Amino acid sequence: MLALAFRAGNAALAIAARSIVEVLPRVALRTPTLAPPAVIGLLPYRGTLTPVVDLCILIAGRPAAAELGTRIIVVRIQNASESRMVGLQAEDVSELIEYGPTTPGLRNTEHAWLGDHLTQVAGLPQLVDPAELLPEALTALFLAKAEA
Amino acid sequence: MSNKSMSNKSNLATKLSYFVAVFLVLFSIFALLAWRTLQQVRVQGPLYDEIMLGNELIADVLPPPQFIIEPYLLTLQLSEQSEPTEITRLIEKGNELRINYENGQEKWKRVLARDTMGDLMTVTSYRAAMEFFRLRDDEFIPAVRAGERDLAKRLLAQMGQRYEAHRYAIDEVWKLAAQRNLANEAKADALVSSKLSALAFLALAIIFLVIVMAWFARRAAATLSQRVELVSEVADRVAHGDLSTEVPSTTDNDETGRLLGAIGGMTQNLRSLVTRVKQASVELMSTATEFAATSRQQESTVQGFGASTNQIAAAVKQIAATSQELLATMEGLNAVSGQTADLAEQGQSGLSSLDSTMDRLAQTANAMSARLAAIREEAAEITGVVTTISKVADQTNLLSINAAIEAEKAGEQGLGFLVLAREIRRLADQTAVATLDIEQMVKQMQSAVSAGVMEIDRFAEEVRSGVGTVDRVGGQFGQIISQVRTLSERFDTVNHGMRSQAHGARQIGEAMGQLMDGARQTSVSLREFNGATESLRDAVTVLKQEIAKFNLGS
Repeated sequence: MLALAFRAGNAALAIAARSIVEVLPRVALRTPTLAPPAVIGLLPYRGTLTPVVDLCILIAGRPAAAELGTRIIVVRIQNASESRMVGLQAEDVSELIEYGPTTPGLRNTEHAWLGDHLTQVAGLPQLVDPAELLPEALTALFLAKAEA
Repeated sequence: MSNKSMSNKSNLATKLSYFVAVFLVLFSIFALLAWRTLQQVRVQGPLYDEIMLGNELIADVLPPPQFIIEPYLLTLQLSEQSEPTEITRLIEKGNELRINYENGQEKWKRVLARDTMGDLMTVTSYRAAMEFFRLRDDEFIPAVRAGERDLAKRLLAQMGQRYEAHRYAIDEVWKLAAQRNLANEAKADALVSSKLSALAFLALAIIFLVIVMAWFARRAAATLSQRVELVSEVADRVAHGDLSTEVPSTTDNDETGRLLGAIGGMTQNLRSLVTRVKQASVELMSTATEFAATSRQQESTVQGFGASTNQIAAAVKQIAATSQELLATMEGLNAVSGQTADLAEQGQSGLSSLDSTMDRLAQTANAMSARLAAIREEAAEITGVVTTISKVADQTNLLSINAAIEAEKAGEQGLGFLVLAREIRRLADQTAVATLDIEQMVKQMQSAVSAGVMEIDRFAEEVRSGVGTVDRVGGQFGQIISQVRTLSERFDTVNHGMRSQAHGARQIGEAMGQLMDGARQTSVSLREFNGATESLRDAVTVLKQEIAKFNLGS
């Protein structure tokens, strides 16, 4: 199994390669009007406008550093009826990890999206399910936008 | 309660009626007994008749003691008797009869009035009887004892005359007494009948009086029980919370009237009290509502305060991070200044040895300067190339990641491609690392070259301006070094300031956290206060419900 490692603030995280649509370079985005602070822009992608969320703002409370390692991971989120692609901006998006069985770490009930640890690599990144990563308010907002 | 009063009332009336009835019965028995006694003792009544019958019988059977027929008969027997013992017995009997007669006369003399009948009885008949007894004792009995029968017969005739006279008087007495008795009987009869009628009238009057009394008593009892019933009814309604009852006022100053007045006053006082309590509970309710509203407002304010504190904390965190970055930059700057100082020292030390070879150096400096310029140009070119390479490496890395992701999605079929992608990525990474190294090296080289070029240019100038200025240059080097050192010290100060700023920011952050805790606690306290206000309102509601049970009327 393959996972894409990245950082958001101090958190070392990873997303399974199968749930990633594409990884895009960091681009300058216009801040959308009256959007939640974590939503940093709308990206024209494959004929649609894909909302981009800065995971560093979401998790660490600061914007991602303006470096080459900072990239946008495009994933697909969905609920019962709708599905939509969402860009997740994170730091140090440059390494793919081959991993076997995962090891559970601390189970944080408030942040259930923080999954098991990958013990094969240094930093013990935690596997994250993009479907559960975003707060419900943002998910609802994006899917409502798609409906409209 | 009303039932009880009813029963009380009926009990009172019944008791009164019983009392009157018993009185009537007793009185009737008394009247009957009186009537019967009178009936019995009155003249010609049964008892009277019986007594009279007994008297008559005695009178009929016994020889009348006041009528001397028996002594006369004894004298007749004596006149015929010759046996002495018999004569003595007859004389003794005659003596006994005489004593009886005289005793009877004594009594009648005392009892009878001195009228016609009294005279006949005690004077006329007595005188004849006494004459008879004198003849018998003084003359006849001695003659009989002597046995002179002729004399006795003559004396007997004389005594017969006396006896006749006595009998005549007694007959007269009998006639008069009979007449008088008849008159007395009639008088008694009249008297008794008159008394009886008076008694009957009196009984009727008493019965009438008793009936009137009973009627008055019954009316008084009815009024009393009516008042008591009214009072108990009012008390009953008050007990059930109905205070709207108007107690009728009465001008009577008796006990029930006063009781009515007291109950009326009590009801009015109770009504005013309950009205005041009602008003007070309404005011209390509005106060509790104001309390709740105020505390809710305060709670929202505290929540707003909490949110503001949150934002401030985030801002402080950002400041701390920024100052940290600044600190790192300053440290880098410090290192560079240290390097500069070292370089300057090296320059100064080289200056002394430069003195002899200055001329040669001046010549070679130009050549070096030219070469360094060439190196700088090349370095600039290298930098451009390196930037391009690093961009390409980045692109390659991105491409290889996407390729690997696609290969992973393809599964078994993508395995070979995955390996390829991994290799590409590794190459790209190595390239990136190499370019990074190159970039670093080039940068260092560039700065070194720039510094060298400048120094050499200036040095060459100095050399050209003469040996005499070498010392001055040396002094300037010393100044530069000391300045750089002071700069370094300043950097230290700035560094220290930065550190304390970061520390301060962290402390502000902690203080903000405490502030947030305080706000949270205040919010909790407000919620508790809200709860207390709710319970106050509940209590007031219960009070209102209790008060509402009292009917105050309009």
